[in-house]
Amino acid sequence: MVIEFLIKLAQGLGIGALALATGLLFGGIGRKIIARIQRRYGPPFTQNYIDLFKLFSKGSVSHGWAFDLGLVAGFAPMLAALMFLPIGPFTLLPSDSSLIMIVYLMMMAYLGMAMGVLASGNPNSAIGMSRALMLMAGYEVPFAAVIFSVYLFSKTGYLTQIVAQQAGGFMNWNIVKMPLGFLAIEIALQGMLGEKPFDQAIAPAEIASGPMVELGGKYLGFGMIQHSVGLFLETGIVVDLFLGGAPNFWIFIAKQFVLYFIVILVDAILPRLRIHESTSFFWKLPLFLGILQAVIVIIQGGVLNV
Amino acid sequence: MELNLLKESNDYKYYELFIGPNHPGIEGNFSYVLKMKGHSVEEVTPDPGLLHRGFEKLMERRLWTQNLALIPRICVPEPDVNEVAYCLGVEHMMGIDVPKRAQYIRVIVLELARIASFLFGMSGLGGTTGHYTSVQWLIGDRDYILDLFEWLTGGRVYHIYQYPGGVKNDLPEGWLDKLSDFLDYLEKRLPEYDKFIFKNPIIQKRTVGLGYISAEDAIENGLTGPNLRASGVMYDIRKAQPYLVYSELDFDIPKTGDGDAFSRVLQRRLELSESIKILRQCIEQIPEGPHRTKVPNPFQFRVPKGSYYSKVESSRGEFGYYIVSDGDVKPYRVYVRGPSYSIGLYYATKALVGMRIEDVPVWIHTTDMCPPDFDR
Repeated sequence: MVIEFLIKLAQGLGIGALALATGLLFGGIGRKIIARIQRRYGPPFTQNYIDLFKLFSKGSVSHGWAFDLGLVAGFAPMLAALMFLPIGPFTLLPSDSSLIMIVYLMMMAYLGMAMGVLASGNPNSAIGMSRALMLMAGYEVPFAAVIFSVYLFSKTGYLTQIVAQQAGGFMNWNIVKMPLGFLAIEIALQGMLGEKPFDQAIAPAEIASGPMVELGGKYLGFGMIQHSVGLFLETGIVVDLFLGGAPNFWIFIAKQFVLYFIVILVDAILPRLRIHESTSFFWKLPLFLGILQAVIVIIQGGVLNV
Repeated sequence: MELNLLKESNDYKYYELFIGPNHPGIEGNFSYVLKMKGHSVEEVTPDPGLLHRGFEKLMERRLWTQNLALIPRICVPEPDVNEVAYCLGVEHMMGIDVPKRAQYIRVIVLELARIASFLFGMSGLGGTTGHYTSVQWLIGDRDYILDLFEWLTGGRVYHIYQYPGGVKNDLPEGWLDKLSDFLDYLEKRLPEYDKFIFKNPIIQKRTVGLGYISAEDAIENGLTGPNLRASGVMYDIRKAQPYLVYSELDFDIPKTGDGDAFSRVLQRRLELSESIKILRQCIEQIPEGPHRTKVPNPFQFRVPKGSYYSKVESSRGEFGYYIVSDGDVKPYRVYVRGPSYSIGLYYATKALVGMRIEDVPVWIHTTDMCPPDFDR
């Protein structure tokens, strides 16, 4: 029993490290691609590892216990959510891989981060965090509509089962069966990752990088970890929901990268919307697509016949 | 938030927010202190005085020609207008005739600097709206102009190339050909910028109708340059009171006239095309001859007693130098009229009130202000 627990613990830590390493690598490659679009040479794709190492080797200024606790609370639920994510053929806790649980933990992470940065007392942080939460209220609605469609279609809320139902080739993937839902979740992903046109929470010229303005050293390092793990988790969810999961880890991260690639291409060419425009946008086109997808699933009879 | 909190009601928090001096949304060593109500600006207090130079006072302590190395610092993105305006004033007071070739070279330098400044100014819109690809593209193209300046003057940003009586050196061999190649390249890039920036629906959404300035307000508050012309007042010193050889050149003043942030940037974009037109004519028409009239030894250089106001049209508007001489080897007094002073220090206190925080840096950068000319 104890040995089993220790093995699970080691596997959990391994998944966390893997997600972090992959997220940082994606970020580094993303920076390089954006640099090339912008006619720059760009930093090496390992720059994010170097930055993280540097941040954790620097001294840090704390703004009190709520600040410290908030940042840990922002990072821990992300790691916890990873334990339920099917990564290729591997899921640490397959019997508990409920989508609701994962989405709940992701929201907890953002609320934790909000608690931390609000404790810094900087008005830019407060505005940034209020924008992040407002944006969340925007993209979570179409995201929920898509999850509802997948529930109706797959008749299960467990990611492991949703992945299993898509086995057998490309034509079984949910992207083929629910293309509108995929489109809606891809747009929502742009907001979840905070990339343009939905990067209002950190808008440097407007609010001096918002939540990050009071983060330095290890605290900024924690923020970077949260973003990198979030990147792995959020793209991973879409791979499992719509791209049929993956038979091995390498194919899984290749599929994640395709999603991230689309996100950074959009990020490179579009400017930033105002915050209220972003929220209302999410409540229009992506939500419409999500609801339309749910209606199509219902009409196709998958649910009414139950 | 509690650190800057002024008061709190059931609906709003009232607090202070600093845009600058260490803030990506501001230009130069300058700051606005905003009193905020929720996300909207209630009161604006400009906070200049952070440059710690005192150009005007420094000029009184230096020889007439030594000042040429100091004054370009008054406007970093477009330093040449200072040099030319100052030289025009000194030449007028001394009665020096500037050779035709030198006048053409001055126009080439001014128009090239104007294009560089417009590219820099348009990139400000990208920086504030997060359209960073346009920023990198525009700054990248501006670098080709800096290469040309480096070849001509030895300096990339500050050129210190003008001198009473003309310019310090003649154009190097092949320089005009290279300039012509660059203009060809830039003209090919412009449709791409139009599509990428001005036809971008989000850029339009964020700038059309923002920070409207009526023609009456623009005149009353002393606005000049593209900011004035974007409000529909077609005043340009190059046309109204031509200096150098502008009267021999054929160019138009583009009309946008909507008075909002979008038209202010569009005005610059259209004027950029006119500057290309002017440069092409200069390449064709520039005569042979001396590039400078000989003037006395700098240590014995005395300007006759009197005063004169010389002005040039910069990319931001009227740049003027009011020069007073008591016949000494140094100026008695030099007053600099910068184009950003009126809009950045005065009009901003009216224009920013009621604006949402996300629009403030967009407004600042679409007016293309240059705060060192507040702190001169």
